[in-house]
Amino acid sequence: MPNHDLMVKVSNLRKSFTGVDALNGVSFSVGKGKVVVILGPSGSGKSTLLRCLNQLETQNSGEIWIDGEKITASQKQLDRIRSEVGMVFQHFNLYPHLTVLENLTLAQRIVKKVSRAEADEIARQQLAKVGILEKADAYPSQLSGGQQQRVAIARALSMKPKLLLFDEPTSALDPEMIKEVLEVMLELAREGYAMVVVTHEMGFARAAADEIIFMDDGKIVEQAVPEKFFSNPVEPRTRAFLSQLLAR
Amino acid sequence: MIAKNVKKVDLAVSMIASQRPSLRERLRTIPWWLVAIFGLALLTTWAVTTQPAYASAFNYIKAGLSVTLVTTLVSFAISTLAGLFLGLARVSNNLFWNNVSTFYVEVIRGIPMLVLIFFIALVLIPGVTLGLKNLAPVFQSAGLIGIASSLQELQTSAMPMNIRAIIALSITYSAFLAEIFRAGIQSVDRGQMEAARSQGMTYPQAMHYIILPQALRNVLPALGNDFISLLKDSSLVSILAVRDITQVARLYAGSTFEYNTTYTTLAVMYLTMTILLSFLVKFIERRMNSNAKP
Repeated sequence: MPNHDLMVKVSNLRKSFTGVDALNGVSFSVGKGKVVVILGPSGSGKSTLLRCLNQLETQNSGEIWIDGEKITASQKQLDRIRSEVGMVFQHFNLYPHLTVLENLTLAQRIVKKVSRAEADEIARQQLAKVGILEKADAYPSQLSGGQQQRVAIARALSMKPKLLLFDEPTSALDPEMIKEVLEVMLELAREGYAMVVVTHEMGFARAAADEIIFMDDGKIVEQAVPEKFFSNPVEPRTRAFLSQLLAR
Repeated sequence: MIAKNVKKVDLAVSMIASQRPSLRERLRTIPWWLVAIFGLALLTTWAVTTQPAYASAFNYIKAGLSVTLVTTLVSFAISTLAGLFLGLARVSNNLFWNNVSTFYVEVIRGIPMLVLIFFIALVLIPGVTLGLKNLAPVFQSAGLIGIASSLQELQTSAMPMNIRAIIALSITYSAFLAEIFRAGIQSVDRGQMEAARSQGMTYPQAMHYIILPQALRNVLPALGNDFISLLKDSSLVSILAVRDITQVARLYAGSTFEYNTTYTTLAVMYLTMTILLSFLVKFIERRMNSNAKP
């Protein structure tokens, strides 16, 4: 059922990897301009859920709508939807053989058929936005982890996405670099990008999320606005998870 | 005990102060194998320039150089291209192409190269020629008289052995190079393909712009080594009476009975070419490492 106020709608998603149920009937939605943060212990299925949204994993059953459009088996449709959905990975996955600028312009040019001059212009705008314009001609290996992840965010932004997916974007970073990445993400949330973020950063969840989803064992255990989620969680499993984090 | 230790320290201090490694250490760092090869090269040059027997052997054999080099270069070019596509098929999810290429690679790699060269040149190529000839009536009945008559005129012996040799080496080496390309493609991090696909690139686009450039950089040394192997294995085509340096040397030795001079000269000729090429490969490898941007 398409709903035109929703950027993402997921209905009864199931996915299993050789005998293990990663997703066990998950349904949720993300409003336009809303930020949803997915929390949960490792192995709870949160990354699998995120990767299903742009079909890096294919579900066994269940349906996904992106911006009112149902994802079908058509590869052509999928490629188009992917070009409108930005993804930021835990390990950045920048293209090591290309400069920072080329990392941002390649897909614009070959997927969206944007002219080189226009692609360059857009790329430089996005690099300026994440505060790293001076590295445009550097190679990814010459940057710090935090800088690489900001470039990866700029790469996603340069496709002018209507939805951004973040898969544990700070988990591979040294502590002192986490902040610079979270600040960029917080800024994007304020600008009104629709975002689905898998993370362990509670501070970010509290500050940026419109809604928090807590997952365990391939199911959504609890779903609430941040204030309620952190101060007054209903489910015992959520409480256990949060108290463990606070004890750290 | 203490005195002994003091002495040891003194020795260490004096060694650091002088900064001179011992003679034994310095001898260890010299690449003696290279010195030996250099000496061999000098000896050969001396022999070819001053000894009439060696000089006449070399002058006779060098007539085959162009055949050896052309066979090697053309076979390598064809097998690189074919190997690339076979390698791509090996990593593809397409069940048909994946199985076809795996079948090809496993069959070719399981047969000795000498046998394969005989088989391709003397069984496969005449067989295909005969098969095409038998297709002539089909084209005839379809009204394509031109094609039919040109097929009718095919002779199983028409193709020169030089070409057959190149085809045989290309078929053989494309299977080896397919494995190199497959390994190279698989050495690229999985996240690269995911990142490219997540931006909306098609599989061929992701391969072309993201995976292959990184894979090629990884396999360049291995490709260079296979080029050297191909140069050496090109000597096998002499059994098809192709006049490469090995075949010419055999003819010369057979007619003059100068086995010593002939085969020494031949061996040194191969060695010179392979050593020069391996330096070139090392040079390229070093240059790639110095401006690597992984």
